[in-house]
Amino acid sequence: MTRIAALVSKEFADLRHNPGVLLPALLTAAISIVLPFFVAVIVPAWTGERLSDSSDFQVALEIYRSQPEARTLSPEAAVQAWLFQQFLPLLVLAPVAASMSVAAYTVIGEKQARTLEPLLATPITTFELLSAKVLGALVPAIALTVASFIIYGAGIALFASSGAVRVLFAPRSLGMVFLLGPLAALAALQLAVCVSSRVNDARSAQQIGALIILPLAGLLVAQLTGTVAVTGRLIGIFTIVLATVNIILMRIGVALFDRESILTRWQ
Amino acid sequence: MLAAVHLTRRFGQRLAVEDATFEIARGEIFALLGPNGAGKTTTLRMLAGLIEPSAGEVTLDGHRVEPGNAGRLRARVGFLTEAPGLWDRLTVRENLLTYARLHGLASPAVIVEQSLKMFGIADRGDERAALLSKGLKQRVALARTLLHNPDIVLLDEPTSGLDPESARDVRELIVTLRDQNRAVLLSTHNLDEVERIATTVAVLRQRMLAVDSPESLRVRLFGRRLRITLTGKAGSFIPALRESGHPDVAADDHTLSIATQDATRDTPDVVRVLVERGAQIMSVVPEEHSLEDIYLRLVREGTPQ
Repeated sequence: MTRIAALVSKEFADLRHNPGVLLPALLTAAISIVLPFFVAVIVPAWTGERLSDSSDFQVALEIYRSQPEARTLSPEAAVQAWLFQQFLPLLVLAPVAASMSVAAYTVIGEKQARTLEPLLATPITTFELLSAKVLGALVPAIALTVASFIIYGAGIALFASSGAVRVLFAPRSLGMVFLLGPLAALAALQLAVCVSSRVNDARSAQQIGALIILPLAGLLVAQLTGTVAVTGRLIGIFTIVLATVNIILMRIGVALFDRESILTRWQ
Repeated sequence: MLAAVHLTRRFGQRLAVEDATFEIARGEIFALLGPNGAGKTTTLRMLAGLIEPSAGEVTLDGHRVEPGNAGRLRARVGFLTEAPGLWDRLTVRENLLTYARLHGLASPAVIVEQSLKMFGIADRGDERAALLSKGLKQRVALARTLLHNPDIVLLDEPTSGLDPESARDVRELIVTLRDQNRAVLLSTHNLDEVERIATTVAVLRQRMLAVDSPESLRVRLFGRRLRITLTGKAGSFIPALRESGHPDVAADDHTLSIATQDATRDTPDVVRVLVERGAQIMSVVPEEHSLEDIYLRLVREGTPQ
């Protein structure tokens, strides 16, 4: 644990000295916060049309008002709450997607800077090294998600219809942000670090890393289009699946991390 | 202490190191020489437990180093890699602190401050590594290598690219490490450096061509010879010397080169013979071959001695 903490602390120091690396993550998080407000608050205020009057939202409204947290809401607040909840995965996944390129670069970056060999010459194990690399990207991503969640909640409380903010404190919203989100982030970042330890140039790592975002983006689209309804039960199932996937990924990552070929064959 | 026993390493079909056997003892500076691509860095990596040998073994205090216990070896070894390998965006202090923690040292901050003072870089502790000169980077890398007080120190070209002053500082540090009874392995192309500080020299070209003290290598390769400079031509004295029991004699203008088993015993006899034949002797000195002569002969012949 000491060695993991030492390397994570180094990763944070690196970020502190080079905050520009976090800029894409901050921008993505900012966009993911603003976008739902644009749809649910700004556009209706601008056009003067109430969302609950639109026929597009009637079906959603009907289904959604059967949810416990939406029963007591006004029709307008219920549509807004529904929209804010639909955009919640974006809020959770945006910082992760942005951190992906950092994670994908992490091992190949050490190799290219010729800092990997002295690091491997310490007693650090492969598990410790990979854990630290994943945590170095995961912790800022989660911190950003939590910060985004707080700003998102404050924004809803301030600008949306009365009561709409309650939707954020529904178990499935909290499950999505604090359980499913971190586990999905962990899986994605582990995969990115695996990629980083197998490719032999930084561009390949970042390109392949970008591909990992596609399934996450697919999940978001499925949620927005109603193809997948994220229920409490589904969150429970996904949590178990993702926890298992994470354990498997860590084992695969350790197995794939070939110290010898990294030291001797990478150029 | 740290030994390579019939160490062999292949990369696919390519043989990097073949059947290398040697041992590094405490208080020794063991210089590993060889042309580029001779397998020096591969050997160092095997000794540091970073890569495994294809055949043979590395032993530490008589115990075989295996993947399961390589971590223990790495805790006792300080490995200075060819490139300083500092994290450029981090300060010198942050670089060292990370390594002190990675080695699990009890008071990392205290040890880092001591190290900064010891290496004369205390005033540079808060500078980013990227801003340091090459010599300073190497000094920080050396400080990092020794943070955990290793008893075995492997140095891969530690003075490469350094200015003379920085190179001298590094050499002095290596001698200090030897005086502290550590085992030091130095891989280098700088023969002058080796001549000055090494106690043992090994020449590697995939196979180990020779391992011995520089003096023993001189004797093995060139024998002991006397160099006698005369005022006149030297060639005419060869028959007389041969008759007096010195068959291996060579002459070059004013100089005679005479093979001898024991210079102390043979010098008076040789001088007497020459003086009796009317030679006017200007100087009599033992013939010295440089380490460069030894190295070039070994590498050109390419056969183990």
